[in-house]
Parts: sequence; structure tokens; C-alpha cells
Amino acid sequence: MSDYSKKRILVVDDAALVRTYYRSALEAHGFAVEEALNGLEGLEKVLLQPFDLVIVDVNMPQMDGVTFLHTLRAKELPISGIPALVTSTEAGIQDMAAARRAGANFYLVKPIKQETLAEYAAILCGAAR
Amino acid sequence: MDDTPQITEDEFRRLADFLYRRTGMVFTETKRYYVERRISERIVATSSQSFAGYFAYLRSEIRNEVEHLINAFTVNETYFYREDHQLACLSSDLLKERISGKRPGDTIRIWSVPCSTGEEPYSIAIWLLENWKDVDAYDIEIVGSDIDTRVIEAAVEGTFGKRALMKLSSELIERYFHELDNERWQILDDLRQSVRFSRVNLIETKETRPQGRFDVIFCRNVLIYFDDESRRVAAENLYDNLLPGGFICLGHTESMSRISPLFEVCRYSGAIVYRRPKELRA
Repeated sequence: MSDYSKKRILVVDDAALVRTYYRSALEAHGFAVEEALNGLEGLEKVLLQPFDLVIVDVNMPQMDGVTFLHTLRAKELPISGIPALVTSTEAGIQDMAAARRAGANFYLVKPIKQETLAEYAAILCGAAR
Repeated sequence: MDDTPQITEDEFRRLADFLYRRTGMVFTETKRYYVERRISERIVATSSQSFAGYFAYLRSEIRNEVEHLINAFTVNETYFYREDHQLACLSSDLLKERISGKRPGDTIRIWSVPCSTGEEPYSIAIWLLENWKDVDAYDIEIVGSDIDTRVIEAAVEGTFGKRALMKLSSELIERYFHELDNERWQILDDLRQSVRFSRVNLIETKETRPQGRFDVIFCRNVLIYFDDESRRVAAENLYDNLLPGGFICLGHTESMSRISPLFEVCRYSGAIVYRRPKELRA
């Protein structure tokens, strides 16, 4: 098991089961995980605490993932510079392009293997491999 | 009061009739001792002076006494990962079939009825997290229902003792529970939020129908408590609660073929399950 215990990740997803699934994948590799239920709560969390990465779903109530990213990137540094991994069930080119335009660093289509998620999280956090 | 109350044969029959009409459960003379014990507890709890007084109180529907009595009768012993060959069948076969007509992001609805104190619906959630590779690609909605409001309250709270967790590995317990005092464990908040609980009497269509339609129903070890007529009504309600092509899993000693001709029997490597046919039969 690798140890990324210094790295903090915010998982933003409206589905409780998905949050649990991602959390257990990331915690198994030593990441510290916080959760938010939608983009609005996600924004609140990044304003309050430092994060090394946000993992954000696209389709969510209150505020969707793309709006979340637009808003995040419009903030001041260092908050605006937090790497973002988008996870979505939408596999269309235009969906990925919209996420990139909004400021996503990478885009993974669900379903995502727990190992794969942890691997991308490590890379995007800049954690040593 | 320490002794069981004096209940005449006629009183017992009237009570059994009443319980049957309200719950579908059958209490024959052979269960008389068991019934008298529960009644005795309720007579004390309600400060009634006699069986006759209690029965009048029960029928007057004051303070949900029918519900309290039902709660005293229902059996709620269960544990996590009970009959897990059916959970294996769910993740390896049933869901594969159900998602063939869906797109990622679509909803999959699973109903655990009766859910008792939550072991079964939470087991389904944990099993899917551990064993179903598409768990994050669908909007999984798990509903747990029971006739007993007392167990639903416990299910929502989600705390369990050693016995309920006996089949789970220490890794799973560590991953999905946090330890409280006195050898009790509480399931993680996210898992508690992933299951919605409701009170449902399976023989009351007006209660089953609002639950909507499901892809898979787990209805284990409850139909055995019903008589033929209630079993038929329950089976018809369950049929209505299934999407066309949806599956229902019963307890391993139960057979739907004996109860209702509405379902198709399906054999998978791990389990026998029943399916609502995809097309309406002529």
C-alpha cells in the first residue's frame, strides 16, 4: 500500500454509495478524504480547507460539476489552482470538452475501478509514485 | 402481572381473526402459548385489567396499539450477508440483465422487504460496493421496508452487535462501520443515507403501491408466516412492485411457484430467483 497521507482529496458526488466507493478506494491508499453532496457544498469546503485534489461528478442537484469548476477556477489562488478530476457517466466528446473548458484536469468515465481512481488521484496530486 | 392471562377459546379465535385481517399472519391454536405471552406483555404495558379490556382497547385503535402488538409478534433476527449466494447472484447475473436495457446514470431500484433492523438492505449496499464493478455508474436506490415500526427506527440508526456482524470480515467491518462502546458498531453515515426506509404491510396494496416499481426485490422468509390467501395477495402486490423483467428473491425454503403463477422461475449458478415476465401474457 502506498502512503499519501499528506494529500487531501475532496469527493463531490450526490450519490452516497458512490462517495463511499471512492472514499474506500482512496483511503486504502492513505489519502485523507472529505466529501460534499453537490457543487455548492463543494465550494464551501474548498473555501474552508486546503485540498490537493477535487474529484467531482457532473450531474448533481443544486450545482452541477461543470458550474462548480467554472466557479472554482474564477476564485483567487491558491483555491483556483486545485487540480480537478471529473468523473461522469457521460462518455460523449462534447461532455468531456465542456468539462475541460470549465477547468477539469482529467476526465474519467464511470464505472471507474477503485485502483484506477487511486492511480489518477496520485498523479493529479503530484504524489510520488 | 406474572402469569399469562386467561383467554378463552372464543377470545383467542376473535383475536386471531383480528390479527389475520390486519396483518395477514395466521395464528392457529398451536401458537396459542406464544400469542398469550405477547398479549400478556401488552396487557401489562397498556395497564389493561383483563384480556377483554385489552381487546377492546386494541380494537379502538387508541395509541397505535395494533402497531405495538404487531411489533411484539414479528420476528426480527437476522445478520449481515445472510444467504449471500443470492447477493452473489445479484451482482453477477441479475444486475447485468437489468442494466442491459439502461444507460449509465440511470436508476436501479432494489427493495428489501421485510428489512428488519437493516441488515439486509445495508448488506446489499456493502455487497455492491465490494462486488459490482458498475456500482458508481448507476444511480442505485435501495429501499428497506417493514411492517414493524420499531425495527425501522433501529434500521435508520444503523447500530449492530457482534452477532449481526458475524459473517463480515474484520476488513469489511473496519471499512464500513465505526465502533461504539459495548461491542456495538454503527454503519457509516454515507451508507445510512444510501438506504431509504419505509413502513409497509405487504398485504395492503395501498401501502405497497406507493413504493413504486423495482428492478430487484428481496422478500425473504416472510411469506412463510402467511396463509394461502394472504400469500397470494402479497405475491400479487410484489408483482405490481416489479418492473417488467424485474427479479424477486425469496428465502431458500420458499417457492413462488406454489404461491402464484405470475412469475417465471430463473435458475442462475448461485440461486433460484423469480422474474416478472417482460411481456404481458395473453
